[in-house]
Amino acid sequence: MSEKLKQIINQQSDQQNSDLTQLDDIVQLVGFVIGEEEYAIPILSIQEIIKPFTWTRVPQVPPYVLGVFNLRGAVIPLIDLRLKFGLPSKNQSDETRFIVMRHGDDVAGFVIDRLTMAIRIKKTDIGPAPDTVNGDETIIDGVGKQQDKIITILKVHKLLERDF
Amino acid sequence: MDEFQEILQDFLVESFELVEKLDEDLVELENNPEDLELLNGIFRVAHTVKGASSFLNFDVLTHLTHHMEDVLNKARHGDLIITPDIMDVILESIDLMKALLETIRDTSADAGIDVAACVSRLDKITGGDGEVATPEVVAAPEPVVEEPVIEEVMTEEATSEEDEIDYDNMSPDDLEAEIEKLLQQRQEEDRIKREAKIAAGEEVLAAPPEPTEASSTEETPVPKAEPTPAPAPTPPPSAPVVPKKEEPKAAAPAKRTPAAVEQTIRVDVKRLDHLMNLIGELVLAKNRLIKINDDVEERYEGEEFLEELNQVVSIVSLVTTDLQIAVMKTRMLPIGKVFNKFPRMIRDLSRELDKKIDLVLDGEDTELDKSIVEEIGDPLVHIIRNSCDHGIEVPADRLASGKNETGTIGLKAYNEGNQIVIQIDDDGKGLDTDMLKNKSLEKGIITEKEADSMSEKEAFGLIFKPGFSTAAAVTSVSGRGVGMDVVKTNIEKLNGMIDIDSELGVGTSMKLKIPLTLAIIQALLVGVQEEHYAIPLASVLETVRISKDEIYTVEGRSVMRLRDEVLSLVHIGDIFEVERILDSSEHAYVVVLGLGTSKLGLIVDTLVGQEEIVIKSLGDYLKGIEGVAGATIRGDGGVTLIVDVVALMSMARDVKATPMNEASASAQITLEKSKPSDYKVMIVDDSKTDRTIMRKALEPMGITLVEASDGQEALNILKSGEHNFDAMLVDIEMPRMDGYTLATEIKKYNKYKNLPLIAVTSRTGKSDRMRGVESGMVEYITKPYSADYLSSVVQRNVNFKAEFL
Repeated sequence: MSEKLKQIINQQSDQQNSDLTQLDDIVQLVGFVIGEEEYAIPILSIQEIIKPFTWTRVPQVPPYVLGVFNLRGAVIPLIDLRLKFGLPSKNQSDETRFIVMRHGDDVAGFVIDRLTMAIRIKKTDIGPAPDTVNGDETIIDGVGKQQDKIITILKVHKLLERDF
Repeated sequence: MDEFQEILQDFLVESFELVEKLDEDLVELENNPEDLELLNGIFRVAHTVKGASSFLNFDVLTHLTHHMEDVLNKARHGDLIITPDIMDVILESIDLMKALLETIRDTSADAGIDVAACVSRLDKITGGDGEVATPEVVAAPEPVVEEPVIEEVMTEEATSEEDEIDYDNMSPDDLEAEIEKLLQQRQEEDRIKREAKIAAGEEVLAAPPEPTEASSTEETPVPKAEPTPAPAPTPPPSAPVVPKKEEPKAAAPAKRTPAAVEQTIRVDVKRLDHLMNLIGELVLAKNRLIKINDDVEERYEGEEFLEELNQVVSIVSLVTTDLQIAVMKTRMLPIGKVFNKFPRMIRDLSRELDKKIDLVLDGEDTELDKSIVEEIGDPLVHIIRNSCDHGIEVPADRLASGKNETGTIGLKAYNEGNQIVIQIDDDGKGLDTDMLKNKSLEKGIITEKEADSMSEKEAFGLIFKPGFSTAAAVTSVSGRGVGMDVVKTNIEKLNGMIDIDSELGVGTSMKLKIPLTLAIIQALLVGVQEEHYAIPLASVLETVRISKDEIYTVEGRSVMRLRDEVLSLVHIGDIFEVERILDSSEHAYVVVLGLGTSKLGLIVDTLVGQEEIVIKSLGDYLKGIEGVAGATIRGDGGVTLIVDVVALMSMARDVKATPMNEASASAQITLEKSKPSDYKVMIVDDSKTDRTIMRKALEPMGITLVEASDGQEALNILKSGEHNFDAMLVDIEMPRMDGYTLATEIKKYNKYKNLPLIAVTSRTGKSDRMRGVESGMVEYITKPYSADYLSSVVQRNVNFKAEFL
């Protein structure tokens, strides 16, 4: 019995130690799903995540810019990531959310299909974006490897950049 | 006195801000000496400070900045490369400038700081080939102390114990010796001074250490003129003044009234914006509270606590409204605050230039957002200086050309459309386009080809080019070719426009058109399909209701007859790409927009009403959308776009008329039902349990069921057009959008006119039923109900075929 207890305690302290040593090398991300793919963005670039509500259409913009909405007194653009990523549009469901992202003074809301979870990932587990999409043009920051899947990490400042 | 103090206060605040920024820029410039933009910016600061200080008669400061300007001007034109040595001198001069400003702040005069040494070095740079005078010259204690001209006059005139020595011609060794001598002398003086103070029984603390320190740094023959730290604002930041005179001088500032600090706090505009947003939130919450109060009232009629609740709600709403107004007011200032400093400026200028000029002010009460009031001051100073110097002729010339000897400059402000216009008129000699072009060619601002193809307006615009100047000689008033450049930069920063009109020999009129950022305007709200737009009321001439056959098509454009003129028409839907889904009725409304002399009729579906709106920007991501001036947040929390009437007028020219009656909404497609699952019914209820109960009741039929948890969601599903519903089961009490509203919304669509809406509710009152009928419900089922009953009602309404049963 005591043998077992010792083992557990050892394990725990091991884990704690490893947690401590890696604190600096860990990136915190928030994962979400658009279409079939899972994407993630750094948790610090998220201002808030809200349930969908009404927005106002704005003329003369690409279809993926749905319009503007009122976020507590500020008028903020709303961008549908499905359309932006070339997927057909889909009706909002219970799981649809608006992620309000911020980079410097730029703020915009993004429609996503579903949130997954907050992810802690080691920096060493993040690979570069595939070669085919290199350069500054890509909105892919890197690819995070997890046990059973890979997650595309997006560049928030690219998402917030006006490209029309 | 008071007026002077007010101007002085503004000047100080402005100058400190400018100088603060200057430091950053200069450091940047040293790293990046080729950056012309930066250099221009720095130059403008010196120029602005010089201009303002000369009006306030701060001769020392003007003297210094004038010479700084000379150096920077050379650098700006590429005649001078900024080497670190030159930069040292410039930095030193800026430190001196700061010290002077601080002296002015504390004593209302700029005496007591010696700038001559620095000025002579600045002169050396301008005069020479860019070589800095040997740094040793720094040590030369040029015994010039300017006398303050205004207010209390310094009683003593500082004199030098030394005769002027020609340091320039000294050998380095002699210089060293001289410096050594001076240094010793100075230390001796300091010692005597300290002793005298101790002897006088002064506390050690009272003896300000800075002045001595500062002066000794200045005197010390440092090989490189280190930028001396700005002396702390202690009384007399002393320069080479003989110790004997130090005593009375130290006492002097105490007698002066320091530029009194106004009872105001300068607050970051961002904080006010934030406050404004928070209040917006509060207003929305208040509106909800009022609504809830009404509901509660309905339900618990006659209960005692209602009165109390009512009181609280009305107090909250009253205070919220007051708060909203108060915060808005904090941001608004009358433009008179800016205008007030001009009469004096004109007086001084006319004396200086030997001209006779009258200033006529108008519209000082026009309120402007604070940020604009602050930004508009600088440009106006430059424009008015320009008008005085270049516009108005000397009295002799005026008489010769048959004009009144006294020239007039008019300065007025007024609202026009969603802009504020500040108009500066002079009856001077006007702008000569040929002369402007020639000067620009001379200075290499434009090419010959450009000059030839230039319109009159474009030629007028030349005066805003950096480096452009028509003055033959550089005076302290103008002629460096920066002023108007400042104007343009500042106005563009405010997203404004400058419009010049001029007639040779008659005068020039300049209009600064500035948009009302965050200003509150009256707007006409119009509806098209289910969208709303706000049109600034100032551009609306009238609204008329017309029937569709009053619209004619001429050369592919819609027109109508309005009394005895022909008005061209454009549908707002064509401008803003609105999909026409809704049934368009026989009648339409035309909003007649007027802008100057041009008119346009804007066809809209409905007129919603007039409202006061707060303009908000759409942000960087969406800026520059043609036809949209901004957005506003409405009482219900929704966002409404504001129409940019100017842009709309030009857009209207390219829009082809769309036939009004071609309703894109096609008739409802009734597909043949071949199996039970072809029937689609939507269940709208906020309660999951209720939805499940309905689902259980209807599932046996085999029809397709779609669920929505509130009216808004239901409407979205419907609008997406993905499903063709045969009936809807609607709960009445739901969050976000209740059943009645949903029904009313749905019935707006032509396509859904005949869609059966079945109310399923626990509200049993007769009035509830009435409202249901009014909003277009066909059946009214009260909870609880039996599964069979529900299913039979649905079957009846969807015309369920018997064979599927």
